[in-house]
This record gives sequence, C-alpha cells and structure tokens, in this order.
Amino acid sequence: MTTLKEPVLTKRIPTHPWGDPTDRKVVSYKQYVKTDGYKGLKNALAMEPSDVVDLVKAAEVRGRGGAGFPAGMKWSFLPPEDGGRRYLAINSDESEPGTFKDRLLIDFDPHIIIEGIAICMHACRLDTAYFYIRGEYHHQREVFEAAIKEAYENKIFGKGSKLGQINGRDPDLFLHRGAGAYVCGEETALLESLEGKRGWPRIKPPFPAVAGAFGRPTIINNVETLAICTPILERGEDGPKWFQSMGTQRPEGAPPHVPASFGPKLFGVSGHVNRPGVYEEELGITLKDLIEGLCQGMLNGKKYKSAIPGGISTGVLGPDEYDVRLDFDITKYDTLGLGTAGVIVMDEDTCMVGVARNIAHFFGHESCGQCTPCREGTNWMSKMLSRIEAGDGTTRDLDLLLEIAGSMGALPSGRGATICGLADGANWAVRTIVNKFWDEFEAKVSKQRFVSLSVVGS
Amino acid sequence: MAWIAKNSATMQIERRDEPYLTDALKKQLEDQVIPRYDTRMAATMPALHLVQDTHGWLPHQAMEEIAEFLGLTASHVLDTATFYEEYWLKPHGKYVIWVCQSLSCELLGQPSLLEKIKGHLGIEVGETTDDGRFTLMGVECLGSCGTAPCALVNHKLHENITADNFQSVLDSLE
Repeated sequence: MTTLKEPVLTKRIPTHPWGDPTDRKVVSYKQYVKTDGYKGLKNALAMEPSDVVDLVKAAEVRGRGGAGFPAGMKWSFLPPEDGGRRYLAINSDESEPGTFKDRLLIDFDPHIIIEGIAICMHACRLDTAYFYIRGEYHHQREVFEAAIKEAYENKIFGKGSKLGQINGRDPDLFLHRGAGAYVCGEETALLESLEGKRGWPRIKPPFPAVAGAFGRPTIINNVETLAICTPILERGEDGPKWFQSMGTQRPEGAPPHVPASFGPKLFGVSGHVNRPGVYEEELGITLKDLIEGLCQGMLNGKKYKSAIPGGISTGVLGPDEYDVRLDFDITKYDTLGLGTAGVIVMDEDTCMVGVARNIAHFFGHESCGQCTPCREGTNWMSKMLSRIEAGDGTTRDLDLLLEIAGSMGALPSGRGATICGLADGANWAVRTIVNKFWDEFEAKVSKQRFVSLSVVGS
Repeated sequence: MAWIAKNSATMQIERRDEPYLTDALKKQLEDQVIPRYDTRMAATMPALHLVQDTHGWLPHQAMEEIAEFLGLTASHVLDTATFYEEYWLKPHGKYVIWVCQSLSCELLGQPSLLEKIKGHLGIEVGETTDDGRFTLMGVECLGSCGTAPCALVNHKLHENITADNFQSVLDSLE
C-alpha cells in the first residue's frame, strides 16, 4: 500500500511501517551527526547563498504549514542586504485542531529542524532566528532548548559559528514561548506576539519579507518546511530531482504558475481509526490508502463517513470522497486546501451537527477580535449551531448560517472582509459541513414548523 | 476570548511591599532575555512567563513592575497579558487540569470524560475546588490528537485518557 520507498523526515524516528513507535528516543547531536546529520548544512555552506535558494526553488518545496506557498519563492522575496538585521521566525505554534506533526519532529529529532534553520539562515542571510513554540508544548520546549544548547556547543550558532558572520553578527537561534493563542500561528500575528504585543494579525502589504519582526525583513516558515530542506540539501545538486521523484505532478492543464505537490509529507491522522498517529507518506496518497493501510482501518469496523483533510479550517470531505488524493490540489473537492495534513476521520455514527458546533465553538473562542465579521460571526455561528444541535433551530437558521459563514474571511469566498485567514477557516468548515450534510441539518430542524420572527438579521 | 473587556475604572489594586519582580528575576531578564530582542517590549511575554512561573499567577502589581522595568505603560503589559489564555490574572488551584475539547478529543469521548471529572471534583469548568487543589479548565487543541482524549495537568500531558486512568492520575497527586 505504501509508496514511499524510504523514510525521509522520520529516518531517525521509528514510525510504521519502518519501525515501532515505542522505540522512539530523542536523537542527540552525536547520534544525529553519526547518521549523516549536518551534511546538508555542509553542502549548503559550500554553495553561494543564492544558489541554495535556487536549489530549494528548483525542488518546488511547498510550505508545510497550511497555505502551501512555495518556500523557495518566499525566500527570494527578501530585499537586498543593507547591513541591518534580518530575521527568521519558525512557526511552531501548532494549534490547528487535528495537527500534531511538528510535535513529532521536535520531540524526537530536533536537530533536523535546527539544520534546516541553519540552511535557511545561510541561504537568505538571516542573522537571528526565533523558534516560536506554542505555550502548551511544555515537554517539547525543554527538548528543543536542550537541542539549541547542543547546537551552540557545536558551533552551529553563536561565536565562531560554522555559518560565519551574517550581516556582521554571529547567528543566533532563540526559543520564544507563546502563551496559548491560536491566531499567533498566523504569520503576522506571530510577529506581533514576538514583539511583546497581543497577537493581532497585521494588514499586508507590507509583507514580512520586506517589513516583518521589528520592522526588518523576516522569513517565516513552518517547522516541517525547514526540516524538509535538510534532506534536499543533503543530496546537493541531485536534491531537486530526488525530491520531485515523490509526490504528484501539477494538475493536468493547469497553468505553469500552479505549483505541483512534490515530496514526502507528514500526515497526522486522528479520530475514528484503529491506529492513529503521524505517518510519513508521499503527497498524493489517497485517503482510503491512508486509512486502510497505515491506520489499519476504521475503529470498531465502522463505515467511513467524513474526513477533514488538514486541520479543521480546511472544511470536510463527504462520504463519496473516500478516494481523494491528499495533495495540495485537493481544493477541487471544495476544501480550502491540504492545510497541515492533520487528517481527522469520522465514522458513520458521527453527528455532523455536533462536529460543526465543535468547530464553530473553536473559532469563536480563538477569534482575536480585531475584525468585526469574524469576532461577531464566529460566535454567532457557534450559538446558532448549539441551538440547532439542541433541536431548537429553524430551517431559516440554516440559510442564515450559510449567509454568515459566507460573509467573513480574507479570501474572495469571504468577501475579503477580514485581515487574516482565521475567519476563512470558520467559513469553509461550516459551509462545507452544512452543504455536504444538508439532510442531517434539516432533520435536526424539521420538527420546528414555525419561523421565529425575532431571528436577528432577518 | 481575549476581547471581552471588564470595567476596571473602580478597581482597587492590591499591593504588597515586597516586589514580585525581584532583583534576581530582573537580573535574569536583563542578562538572558533582553539581549535576544531588538526592543525591550519584546521581553514582555518572557517576563510575564517568568513572574507567573515563580509566583503562580500575575497580580496587577507584578504587571506594573514589569512595565516599569521594561519602560512600557502598565496598560500595555495588561493588554498583552489579557490576550493570551495561559496567563492567570487571578489565583488558581495547586493543579490546573486543562481538558482538551477540540474535535479529535470530542470524537473519542471527551464530553463524557469531562462530565466524570466534573462530578468527581464537584466543580464546573473554570472553577477551583474549595480546598484549593484543583482548577478545571477547558482548552482548545493540545496538539495530541493521535492520542486523544488528552489533558494537561499543570505542565504534564496525559494522553489516551479514560475515566479510570485519569482517576488514578488525580489520586496520585498530592
């Protein structure tokens, strides 16, 4: 069933089908170096920085944090060096429900991330890196602090670093601890939080590559995106070719600016499956293969009903979409995208109204309150779905629900009414659930024969 | 929900003579944290974490001291502290139980588990037991969906919780 020939990111982390997860141990600097560690950095340092960027660009690495933006292209947006500071912010605010892939890397193989960070700093000429880790990751914070210490001791960072001086400074990597706010996973909110303010997303432009942390050029990448650069650089010139031997090509007939979905990807599967966990597979594996192969089928032999492809923001897949390919081209199934590839599987007994209520509650709770449509809309939907679930909804509520959902978000589907994409997540999740499981919602409200005239917004 | 404002115009700030941000903590911040950032303001979150880890929660006086130390207004520090869920602006029990209520955990039985914990402790979510030992909180995704349901007890994550094994976790706490 599995198509990936060898584990890439999970090379040192025993994972099915190559190893037994109970054997997992933190890989120390010594063990990491013994297993070809820091070879990628060595190759990168032998190259001109701009060539490293070109190599990553040639490999067409797409960001693993949710949006799938080509990493190499992001790196090339930086303005020319002016001698001032330039920052790297590593997004490890993994708060999207269903996502727990970065945690695996931080927990057991922190040096693959640190190597990726060092490669990026060399390639983009960034002197200071901040590892923004979410507040709830207490154990992970300790593991990563220890790994950073090892990296300093072995001259990856700090005085006399192998990277040499960048922008006239010794390269540094610091850990910055968040404090429990989902919105800080949005890149500009992360920067605000880094600067010691509340995590309110900024209006773009200016993009962080031009004016980011402390008003200086900043690159923000997800943990897995940086980690995947390590094995590419490890293979040097052959890296892009090797990377593109995995994954799926760009969709047929797509214009050339649409990137393909190459490479391996960590899939975190949870919900109603027999063996949930993080698995590494090629992009483009079907949902069916993922569930029936690596996850050993549905829990208690139940039937598949629905799945969320990549964290709850991405919307749901319906019962007839069991065969979808999990790659960045998944948007054709009316989802927001692959997201973080945190797959949540639901069986036939799941109440989809309850799922929508849980999701709407999440967004209502996590809305930062900056934009009115999101602040009011997410909580309005949350209350309405609680009402529908309790059997007190009206048919009119369903239309209203779709209307509210469709009127918030930064994308055209949300009428561009908000600054960041948090409301888009609420919008897509609620709209796709209501549309794909309309009958279930209708059954919940059908007992009510009258329409309340006091419904707000009527 | 960070954006719910409270009327603080008539609020009295409780004060004590001994500072919360002691000289030792100030030195630690000055030596280890502030040099990491371009501005002193960026040390706000680390400073709040440090005081909270030392004292357990963040009294208003502590936030004023942090503001003074970092050269900020007290309102800025309060603004930041109220936005993030992890900062405690009032005292809490000795053990804080954060039960994850996101989708994967709910699918695998978190609602009935939470009811049992509530029944056992005799408190609702957001409350503290009378003996001051436990505070029960609901929290959004803890990033442990593959081992749902899960809960944090202070800084320790407990995975694959059932009513029984969580009971023994609670019993084993002092």
